[in-house]
Amino acid sequence: MPELSDHALETTLRVARAMYPHDALPDEAYEKVVRQIEADAHGNKAVQATIEQGIAELDEPTPFKDLEADDQLEALLRTEGGEYFNLVRATAVVELYDNPLVWKALGYEGPSVHLGGYVNRGFDDLDWLPDPPISLDPDAGSHHQNVR
Amino acid sequence: MPRYRYDDETVVAIVGSGAGGGTLANELTQTGHKVVLLEAGHHHSPDEFVNDEWRSFKQLAWLDKRTTSGSFRVATDFPNLPAWVCKTVGGTTVHWAGCCPRFMEHEFKSSTYYDGMDNVNALDWPISLADIEPYYDRAEAKLGLTGTNGIPQLPANNNYKVFANGAQGVGYKRFHTGRYACNPIARDDRPATIQDGFPFQGSKNRSRWSTLYTEIPRALQTGKPDLRPGCHVIRIETDDSGLATGVTYIDADGLEQFQRARLVAVAGNAIETPRLLLNSATELFSDGLANSSGQVGCNYMRHLTASVYAIFDEPVRMYRGETMAGHIEDEAPNDPSRGFVGGYYLQLLSLGVPFLAAFMNPGGWGREFTSAMEGYENMAGLWLVGEDMPQATNRVTLNHDELDQFGQPVPNVHFDDHPNDLAMREHAWQAGQALYESVGALRTIRTPPYPATHNIGTARMSERPEDGVVNAFGQAHDVPNLFVSDASQFTTGAAANPTLTIVALAIRQAEYITDQLRAGSIPTGHAVWNERDPGGAAPEVTEAATQADVN
Repeated sequence: MPELSDHALETTLRVARAMYPHDALPDEAYEKVVRQIEADAHGNKAVQATIEQGIAELDEPTPFKDLEADDQLEALLRTEGGEYFNLVRATAVVELYDNPLVWKALGYEGPSVHLGGYVNRGFDDLDWLPDPPISLDPDAGSHHQNVR
Repeated sequence: MPRYRYDDETVVAIVGSGAGGGTLANELTQTGHKVVLLEAGHHHSPDEFVNDEWRSFKQLAWLDKRTTSGSFRVATDFPNLPAWVCKTVGGTTVHWAGCCPRFMEHEFKSSTYYDGMDNVNALDWPISLADIEPYYDRAEAKLGLTGTNGIPQLPANNNYKVFANGAQGVGYKRFHTGRYACNPIARDDRPATIQDGFPFQGSKNRSRWSTLYTEIPRALQTGKPDLRPGCHVIRIETDDSGLATGVTYIDADGLEQFQRARLVAVAGNAIETPRLLLNSATELFSDGLANSSGQVGCNYMRHLTASVYAIFDEPVRMYRGETMAGHIEDEAPNDPSRGFVGGYYLQLLSLGVPFLAAFMNPGGWGREFTSAMEGYENMAGLWLVGEDMPQATNRVTLNHDELDQFGQPVPNVHFDDHPNDLAMREHAWQAGQALYESVGALRTIRTPPYPATHNIGTARMSERPEDGVVNAFGQAHDVPNLFVSDASQFTTGAAANPTLTIVALAIRQAEYITDQLRAGSIPTGHAVWNERDPGGAAPEVTEAATQADVN
């Protein structure tokens, strides 16, 4: 017997997706969340029980994975704060957003030092606002005697 | 590097190698003192740092167990992570951005402007701005602050352009790219910033000041310090007359050792420092070492801390460039007409996607959350840092129900926001939102306080021994050969980021220690070696065989 059923894995992916919905992301982005939860459940009967019980609750009366988006949201709100809900939420908010695939989709370029940082790659390329002063305006004065 | 004998009673033992301990070690070795510098964390090279928020966090952060209590939201969101500080050689100076405002004159005299407030453990500092100014000058030169000592300002990055235009939009006058401890040009044997945007993950090219690759290697060049990474001090030992005799620590091999010392300086950050003092209780010091005032662990402050992020209809890419190179002073003065005392700064801030998700609204989920994340590329951010109130009941205590890996009680951090803190935070959030709305923000997001990197006040300075733990030089009132060298010694928190003041006070303290030791004014404790050495025979002295090689 696998520690988590296929149904549990599939439902957990749907739960993670319903909690942190990004329509443009493929399911692959959410699979990382499921893998981490699988790892947490490995050899841990308490976590396995949390998952099975949490899903049983979400599947009542209709299996969560078969629900429409609005009904999935309602089911999540109904179980918010429960152990399974908290497990998926806390895992998803880390694992989903700690993924270069997701970074790219959100417009975050990630590690930069190996590319020489951004000093020659657009750290100051914003052009829809005027360039502001970078030094303190001497006429404005300062409460800091050292500021010049 | 020399290796001093465990029974060498001429060494100064320093606990912690961050802004306070690392600076003190350098200053003392420059004047010829033998220093044993004990650091609980590993000795990383900047080459090992990673541009990856979670991996870096696991590499550098202090993750030993801590507990929390009180009504502050961090106790719910991050119950075992009240503070985000580092456990590594260089301490939290590997994890900072570099904002370095000085304190303002009135901030040393808090009892005057806290007057009449309830539940504030008000006390004036035993020093004034004039006392510390010469040391601010030296600290600014040491840190290479932009806008001082002929060093240029950093250029405007994308996030600053939004921030500064917003500042103008709401009529602020006093803003700039900061007094900032990161090289805009090559200087002091370190290169210029490459605007990589990962200051909190360790500065891989060393452009940002950290004791790891400035103070500590310079100290090592004197041949005087014995740097011991992986050594976690669990107790300061004292003799029957109440003088410190040295420190007991668990070394990198897990063995308990006792290092004799003529003088002990503690700079473990404002959670570990009081924990160590409390853990060093003896029959003579039954409430904890240097705690006749009862103030050890009390008055824990963590600064206002809150953030505002704003989403625009055009790209910002806030993550590019020096993360905190923007500073607005207009809200910093004390102006009680705003409904609170003290003041705050608005400073530039950005987080990468992983940490924005973790900290934007802990516990948040659903479309409101994900739609904000989808605005990431068009997002600007700022941080709000201001003075929080010293309260006797906000304190670090020992939690005897939870033991760490060495069998020591873990620290519990109790914190309740003061009504003044709440009023200031509300004002600051509104100010940050108004700033961004003035340049067309489509949506603004209030982010609650993060685990604190500014930890302050738990072994405070006082004129009178009954009011605080240490005197104007950080010397314990009760134990004359014991010093506190980090922000624990701050009497109040002021609005300013603490590092510059920690460094200035460490320079000043080193001067005082040197003078006092030369004059024979600091007594030394009497250890009985055989009884005090749990680790067996003291090792032989080795000559300065392994010269510093951390560059």
